[in-house]
Parts: sequence; structure tokens; C-alpha cells
Amino acid sequence: MKDADVSRQIQQMIRFIRQEAEEKANEISVAAEEEFNIEKLQLLEAEKRKIRQEYERKAKQIDVRRKIEYSTQLNAARIKVLQAQDDAMGSMKDAAKKGLLRVSNDKKVYKKLLKDMIVQGLLRLREPSVLLRCRESDRKLVESLIEEAKKEYSEKASMQSPKISLDDRVYLPPPPKNGAVDSHEPYCSGGVVLASEDGKIVLENTLDARLDVIFRQKLPEACKEAPVRLNNITAI
Amino acid sequence: MASNRGQGGIQQLLAAEQEAQRIVNAAKNEKLARLKQAKEEAEKEIAEYRAQLEYEFQKKVSQSSGDSGANVKRLEQETEEKIHHLKTEAERISGDVVSMLLKHVTSVKN
Repeated sequence: MKDADVSRQIQQMIRFIRQEAEEKANEISVAAEEEFNIEKLQLLEAEKRKIRQEYERKAKQIDVRRKIEYSTQLNAARIKVLQAQDDAMGSMKDAAKKGLLRVSNDKKVYKKLLKDMIVQGLLRLREPSVLLRCRESDRKLVESLIEEAKKEYSEKASMQSPKISLDDRVYLPPPPKNGAVDSHEPYCSGGVVLASEDGKIVLENTLDARLDVIFRQKLPEACKEAPVRLNNITAI
Repeated sequence: MASNRGQGGIQQLLAAEQEAQRIVNAAKNEKLARLKQAKEEAEKEIAEYRAQLEYEFQKKVSQSSGDSGANVKRLEQETEEKIHHLKTEAERISGDVVSMLLKHVTSVKN
């Protein structure tokens, strides 16, 4: 083999080695770029998803907190309105209570009312023997009414005249002092309490009890008679 | 001479192999650097993305604070209006209601 041939063969092998290396390097570069993009995108997507979820959670927390806050405020506002409503109704009731104090001052009106209340109680109880309690200040008046009431009851109920025992040991509370209907001391504005002889059936027919019943049960109905309706308030 | 010629050729081939290895290694190193760069670029974009979301979030927070303030104010105003209307109406009908209550209390139907 000639030197030139050998030299040429060696150069060819050298070129081949270099070409192989460059091809491999090129493959590595292409793979690098590919993996670069994949790696970057994967990292980005994973982290972005995490961040997005984090901020969605934060935003949701803000929304929830805000809703709770508003709901709390709305509830407080409603309670405030209800309280004002209650105060208004309470004022009316207090005014009515004060009005009751004047009822027993009108002797003529109170006398008839007291008799009617006793008769009403007797009609409700329909007992042959009844215990009656009244205010100490009303005792004489009640004593003067008992016979008339018994008679009226007999006529209306077509029943035998009942026995009525006036309790002279225990009385209903006295009228409120100085017209203080908001005090905590027990008081009675007028009327009577009737009970069956065995004490098992008690009928409280005092002015105060009647006001309570009418206030709770009949106020909406009663308001229909008024020029204006109370519904305007409750409808708010 | 013959052995001398062969030796020179071998040396050239060895040098070519070394150069080839260097080329391949350089490519591998570049690949590693590129992957590292991928991580760095991703982290940079992630930081930008987070900053963007944080900005939008804070904007929403301050905006909703303003909304909440307006809502509270409106709620307070509506409440005061309702209460005022309630009181006015109650005062208007109070006399009639009290009269009616007393009328019913003192009316006994037997």
C-alpha cells in the first residue's frame, strides 16, 4: 500500500469519527431542546395549577367571609327592626295598661263590668261551687254584686244558683303604685279570679289578663276595626 | 519507516477520538445546562404569574372592601328608614289601637 493511500484512508477515518461525533452531538442538542420545552412546560403547568388553586381558594375564602359578614350584619339589622317593632308594640301595651288604671276609677262603669266579668267566669266554669278572689279594695263592691251575678248566671245558664265563696284571706294584688305599670311588683288593675271548689280549674278574669289575651290573640283581628291597619307595621 | 508511518496514523486517530468525545461531552453539558435553564425560566415565569395573580387578587380584595362598605352603609340606611317608618306608623295608629284594646278589655259578651 502506498503512503498516499494510507494517509488518505486515515483522513477518511478521521472525518468519519468527527462526523459521527457531530451527529451524536446534534442528536443530543435536539433532545436537549425537546426536553427543555417539556421540562419547562411541565414545571409551568404544575406550578400554575397550584398557584391558581391557591388564589381560587383565597378568593373563595374572601367571598365566604364577606357573605358571612354581610349575613351577620343583615341579621343584626333585622333584629334591630324587630326590636323597634317590639318596642312600638310594647309602648302601645303600656299605654293600654295605663288606660286600665282609669277603668276601676269610674265607679259606675267598673261596677257593671265587674258583675259581667263574674257572670262570664261562672258561665265558663259551670261549677256548682266557686271560690272567688278579688282585690281587697274591691271587696265591698264584689260582695254587693254576688247575688245579682248568681241570679244572672242562673238565668243565662238555666242552672241552679251556684255557691260563691269570697276568699277573705287571700286577695289579688293591689293596683300599681303611682301608675307604675312597668315595675316588677305584682299588681292588679281590676277584675276577679274564679276557681272550682277543688282548685283544679282556675279562671283569671282580671283586666290585666284580658289585656294580655286580647293583645296576643285579637290585636290583628281588632285592628280591622281601626281606621288604619297594624299590618302596615308587620309587613315591613 | 513503515512502523513510523503507522504510529503517526494511530496518533491522528486517537486525537480524532478525543475530539469526538469532547464534542459529545460538550453537547451533553449543554443539554444539562439547557435543562437547568428550563427550570430557571419556568421558575421566573411562575414568579411572574404569581405576581400577576397576587395583583389581581389584591385589586379584588380592595374592590370588595369598597363594595362591603357600600353594602353596610346601604343596609344601615335601609334599616334606619324602616325603623323610622315603623315609629311614624306606630305613633299614627297608637291612639286608635289603645282605644280599641281598652274597648275589647272592657267589653264582656255573656
